[in-house]
Amino acid sequence: MKPLMLHGHERSITQIKYNRDGDLLFSSAKDNHPCVWYSINGERLGTYEGHQGVVWAIDVDWETKRFMSGAGDNMLMIWDVQTGKALGKIEAKTSVRTCNFSYSGNMALYSTDSTMGNPSEIFIIDVRTVDSSFSTNDPILQIPLTNAPKATSMVWGNLDEVVISGHDNGDLAQWDLRTGKKINLVSEHAKSINDMQLSKDGGFLITASRDCTAKLFDADTLECLKTYKTERPVNSAAISPILDHVVLGGGQDAMDVTTTSTRVGKFDARFFHLVFEEEFGRVKGHFGPINSLAFHPDGKTYASGGEDGYVRLHQFDPSYFDFKFDY
Amino acid sequence: MPVADNEVKSSWADDVEDIDGLGLPPNTEEYKNGLKIITEYGLDDDNRKFKVVRTYKIEKRYVAKAIAQRKSWPKFGLSKEDKPGPNPATTIVSEDVSMQFITNKEDPDNKEDDPLMKLKSMQKGVVKCRICKEDHWTTQCPYKDTLLPVQEALNKAEEKKVGPPPAAAAAGGPQAKGGKEGSAYVAPALRDGGNRKGETMAMGRRTDEGCTVRVTNLSENARDSDLNDLFGKIGEISRIFLSKDKNTGQSRGFAFVSYKRKEDAERAIKTLNGFGYDHLILTVEWSKPSGTQ
Repeated sequence: MKPLMLHGHERSITQIKYNRDGDLLFSSAKDNHPCVWYSINGERLGTYEGHQGVVWAIDVDWETKRFMSGAGDNMLMIWDVQTGKALGKIEAKTSVRTCNFSYSGNMALYSTDSTMGNPSEIFIIDVRTVDSSFSTNDPILQIPLTNAPKATSMVWGNLDEVVISGHDNGDLAQWDLRTGKKINLVSEHAKSINDMQLSKDGGFLITASRDCTAKLFDADTLECLKTYKTERPVNSAAISPILDHVVLGGGQDAMDVTTTSTRVGKFDARFFHLVFEEEFGRVKGHFGPINSLAFHPDGKTYASGGEDGYVRLHQFDPSYFDFKFDY
Repeated sequence: MPVADNEVKSSWADDVEDIDGLGLPPNTEEYKNGLKIITEYGLDDDNRKFKVVRTYKIEKRYVAKAIAQRKSWPKFGLSKEDKPGPNPATTIVSEDVSMQFITNKEDPDNKEDDPLMKLKSMQKGVVKCRICKEDHWTTQCPYKDTLLPVQEALNKAEEKKVGPPPAAAAAGGPQAKGGKEGSAYVAPALRDGGNRKGETMAMGRRTDEGCTVRVTNLSENARDSDLNDLFGKIGEISRIFLSKDKNTGQSRGFAFVSYKRKEDAERAIKTLNGFGYDHLILTVEWSKPSGTQ
């Protein structure tokens, strides 16, 4: 396959996300302008100017009307996807590390970093109307994680009634939104959870952790179903929407510098079989650890964003679809 | 069809006119057969003119209405000035990469074949018989006792062996092998044909009396690994002792190779005695019992 290299950021990529239809790919990086690209040919549509710090997390609603980004300048901003205009913003006490639109698009959640004075907090907000008064609205729910490990990754759960959070120490917690209470807590990972992604139907959740494994959980019960082991910290993991595959990306280890070719990077995305937990393929190309992975909603292409600042769009060869895992 | 050689090959740079002061022709965009061809000229670091030709295929796709609408949105932000179509500064076609498939089943086969393949290809280059072009010294050929029959026998054995191992290997294939797939270096002890138990002197086993052969007339460049590769093809080696000069590490010219089975040792003598290795012809014979220590 001939991947397209999207070079829109000068710093490392923090997150990439496809919209629900898959025609747009959003990327955020440690520079302050998230970009949006047409995924079919890698053409850049535009950038969202306004942040003044690392953009840690992004999300787009299901209608591809609004785009949300959380940054290190303590701001959560909501933009109009089409024009790039900022619709509203919220100022938080510390860096906004995660942000997600709910399935319905009516609510959103974001979480902040913990610093010396302030604990990490989870906010649930109403985003039905976003305008200049947005910043003064009260959140629907505010959950401070006082004396608790900070939330590093979040997803919306079943029917927007629960949210699931991944923490700095490897814990996974489930919060009921009606009561605001924690209803479940599992500690399967030993180290920080870097990324969490849901499967297409929302039944599974895959977590990528610094303890060099990725685990597959049931999204309702948080039961750990599978574990995918590697030798390097896993920064991101994604579940294929059409096949029984998962892809893991990471690598924050000592580089083996004795590479022969410098034109093709040595960091790879690893493909595992969902059920058998065995690695079956690798795709090289990045010049630095992979920070974010996303499958296109149709499962025929995938994108990876790396520490090198490039987003690589790969279209799978027929050999990938023909590959049968022998058992 | 021969063309007159006196046709002076002039550089396209001279043919085109000087449009702007830089001496560069204007960039062009052409549409031909569903392809868009953009030609750009520029000056590189050494002030030489260069030309970049980019070919885009124009495709028509049917998509949902919403997606089609989004395709027609005007660009904004840093891309505001961009022309329609991908901007080469931001969108680059990368080198071809393909997914490297790793299945544990294939690993044992791979590792076993590799040293054989390597040896085959390596040997081919070293010596070549003038008569039959095989890899042995000419000395009154025909097919002078070459390794070929041995290799073929070995290959047939491989094919038969492939049956049972996949069942075992696929289930709990060592993850380490999968992990090392990408790297080319395999420690000598772990290579096939290598003594995996390690070459410790203090072994409980009685080292194979009667299964040891003495190899002489080795070149100074010979190393343990070379011997391993060469003699490993005959059968499983239990120990190799290569005499080395302590200071330089070069071979003193002789070695003792102990096989696990006596038949392998016999075969080694039969096939490798007189074998041309490096620039010398090896002598392989039974070692005298006292000599193996």
